Amino acid sequence: MGKKNLVMNNPLRILGLEKKVQDKDASMGLVMSRPGLGKTAILVQIALDSMLWGDKVLHVSIGESFDKTRAWYDDILALMGSTEKSDSFQTTVAEILPNRMIMTFKETGFSPIKLEERLGDLVQQNIYKPICLIIDGYDFQAGTHKDLEEFKEFMVNHGVKMIWFSATTHREDDRKSAAGVPAPCHEIDDLFDAVLMIAPKDDAVDLKIIKCKGCSVDPGTSLILDPSTMLIQKA
Amino acid sequence: MSVDLSNVRNIGISAHIDSGKTTLTERILFYTDRIHAIHDVRGKDGVGAKMDSMELERERGITIQSAATYCNWKGKDINIIDTPGHVDFTIEVERALRVLDGAVLVLCSVGGVQSQSITVNRQMTRYKVPRIAFINKCDRTGANPERVTAQLREKLGLNAHMVQVPIGLENDLVGVIDLVTMKALYFDGDNGEVVREDVIPAALQDHAQTKRDELLEAVSMFSDELMEVMLEEGDIDPDLIKSAIRKGTLALELTPVFVGSAYKNKAVQPMLDGVDAYLPCPTDVVNMALDLNNEEKEFPVSNDPADPLIMLAFKLEDGRYGQLTYVRTYQGKVTKGDTVFNSRTGKKVKIGRLCRMHSDEMEDIEFCGSGDIVALFGVDCASGDTFTSGEISCSMSSMHIPEPVISLAIIPVDNKAQINMSKALNRFTKEDPTFKTFVDHETSETIISGMGELHLEVYVERMKREYNAEVTVGAPQVAYRETITSRAEFNYTHKKQTGGSGQFGRVAGYMEPLEEGEYEFVDAIVGGVIPREFISSCDKGFQKSLVKGALCGSAVTGVRCVINDGAYHNVDSSDVAFQLAAIGAFKDGYMKAKPVIMEPIMKVSVEGPTEFQGSIMGSINQRRGMIIGTMEEGQYTVVEADVPLSEMFGYSTILRSLTQGKAEFTMEFSAFKQVPKLVNDELIKKYQSDKKNG
Repeated sequence: MGKKNLVMNNPLRILGLEKKVQDKDASMGLVMSRPGLGKTAILVQIALDSMLWGDKVLHVSIGESFDKTRAWYDDILALMGSTEKSDSFQTTVAEILPNRMIMTFKETGFSPIKLEERLGDLVQQNIYKPICLIIDGYDFQAGTHKDLEEFKEFMVNHGVKMIWFSATTHREDDRKSAAGVPAPCHEIDDLFDAVLMIAPKDDAVDLKIIKCKGCSVDPGTSLILDPSTMLIQKA
Repeated sequence: MSVDLSNVRNIGISAHIDSGKTTLTERILFYTDRIHAIHDVRGKDGVGAKMDSMELERERGITIQSAATYCNWKGKDINIIDTPGHVDFTIEVERALRVLDGAVLVLCSVGGVQSQSITVNRQMTRYKVPRIAFINKCDRTGANPERVTAQLREKLGLNAHMVQVPIGLENDLVGVIDLVTMKALYFDGDNGEVVREDVIPAALQDHAQTKRDELLEAVSMFSDELMEVMLEEGDIDPDLIKSAIRKGTLALELTPVFVGSAYKNKAVQPMLDGVDAYLPCPTDVVNMALDLNNEEKEFPVSNDPADPLIMLAFKLEDGRYGQLTYVRTYQGKVTKGDTVFNSRTGKKVKIGRLCRMHSDEMEDIEFCGSGDIVALFGVDCASGDTFTSGEISCSMSSMHIPEPVISLAIIPVDNKAQINMSKALNRFTKEDPTFKTFVDHETSETIISGMGELHLEVYVERMKREYNAEVTVGAPQVAYRETITSRAEFNYTHKKQTGGSGQFGRVAGYMEPLEEGEYEFVDAIVGGVIPREFISSCDKGFQKSLVKGALCGSAVTGVRCVINDGAYHNVDSSDVAFQLAAIGAFKDGYMKAKPVIMEPIMKVSVEGPTEFQGSIMGSINQRRGMIIGTMEEGQYTVVEADVPLSEMFGYSTILRSLTQGKAEFTMEFSAFKQVPKLVNDELIKKYQSDKKNG
């Protein structure tokens, strides 16, 4: 599969997210769901989309091992390329992998300040300049609105254009913002340009677009995820 | 020796360098009465540990060659291979794992899961070796076996659960609590040889109960019976727990974790009980052989001593009594005086002497049965050869052997050294398939190549010490490769008329990149334009051309040469003429096929204090390295990167100075990748100028 095909076949293309990176303004996105429904799979698809466009991605994984995080990429790439001839697909994979760096932290060892330090090291020494930052496993209860605002500002000043978080919702907590963003992010929803929610529905899994500034789909739309692969099914 | 295979354990002891596995083996030998005094690896008595039999190993305090030994623990025959910890000697670890049924993964309770533990674990997974873990050095400052157990889960993905907890830690380590029997174990006597059972100290009761509950919850997954007893809240028979742990371990779904301190003689014996209780006997594992009469189709070996013999030579050693060949028997049995067949060479071999090895000492035995690991004397073979009784023709599955990545020119200082060097090289290449040697005909230098600087350094040292071969050593060179990137036609006529019989041959066809494999020759000649007898000459000519590429003089790989046209002369065509024509044809096509230079890329793992993460990443970046990821583990960070080998020379010194000596790194070969344009041009320039200057 050529790179171009892979770009076009990225399931997230349906959302029209490529426009986000092209935007001059930096944006923050959020993927929410109850535990174990596939937030990481969606984040990895977003990361792969950026990588295929040639943008560098820094994937920060909190509380998850390096190998497990890498395995997510391997699995999703394998699914995306499963129908294509292996040689050119492998070449494409080899070409895009330098666009990814994984950073893992323990839950107790992570703080936005620590990540700022690490990113500072990478950018100042000209080692790696990510355009897309994926933060999987951040504890939103630990940080305030102001913390996140400052964090976004720092990242943007260091060249990051797109930041995607994952957040875990809980059945017993039914608080919601006016826009419909559930806890624990209901009080900081104004910081995010896009909020996607994964919700199981009968035998399928829905990906609800709660808000998506600049996306090619309207808020309120639901896309269907294939529950066995967590790839977005084409309409 | 017993014949009941359920009483046999073939185990390996593998770990990160300096985790204390040689010390652990030393204690095992002591407690099983194989030795009567304990000598430490870097002991003041200057004797050194028993398993480090090579002089060099004792001097450096590291294990280089795995030595095999045998002991008997509570009626179980245990064959132990002590394996090296340094990644350069990985082939030793791999070969040991190939023939072993189970392994003990030794970890340092302070250092935890380090880079080499990851490599070793990966190898154990590759060979499906069930394992138990022993967290050693619990007497050290900063010891934290629970953290290490968590790392076994997080970093290695093992379902690791402690079957013991320590009583005290660091200087206060006095014993362990067995969570299966819920008893405290203490180790009395001068060398901890007397195991005393006692009640659990009151202060640790709650902690032990919590850990036992965790263990039972994990283990109950492997036994319905245990789960039922737990649900009924009845008394649980320790044997029921043990059988569930064994089941999980053999299925590679559970890793029981033992704790202790070999150096302080604490809790080595319960770990040996664990080897007996949880690691497989030869009949618990399925080993596959390749049927050479049936297109190498895999079939399981039977382990039955009554079946025809299948025996694998997995290690050769040149001892003071001649060549020693370590073998593992997979089925059948072999008795002193028997004649066996080498499947590779088809030659008959008489078994003159059979020995059980105890490091560098030996004990003669009359026969060895299925599942056994013993040594043979005076048998001429190479490592990896399979012996059979002749009734069947088979080979044990081939072993994964990595390609050498670094080479070194060695020049003997005098004639005597030259002769001795040849003997040494002949021996080493037989012993170690990752060690290769050849003579560069342009420079007349002998080149040795292997898996890393230390790997080659050790062989140079061994040459001096064991063979009295004094050699001068050149600077290490990276083993570059050349390959082609596109298809190109060739058409070359070799014609020579210098009086007498002439030479004539024309070879035409094309070359193209070969995705898998090093070289392929395709004969597409029709109509006899090149006679049959000269086809192999063309192949030979191409193969000669592959030895040295035109770009930087490195070996050429990944090429398919197809001949589809040619011409011959009734009188002047000969084998030599067609070889030379093929060499000319290769030259003709090679530069048109857009050749490139490939370099070995190493998977580098640097581990050091988090405060130095920036400097470590910077140092990798300066070396054309690609950082794949970083892992922060409290105070320590691991940086994983792919770095060209050519940039890694002298890195240990740089890393030491950057991190106040607090960081360490390991590397192993990952892949060959095309060099960047700038490096490509430099290598070509250097090769041209070297050629010019002779």
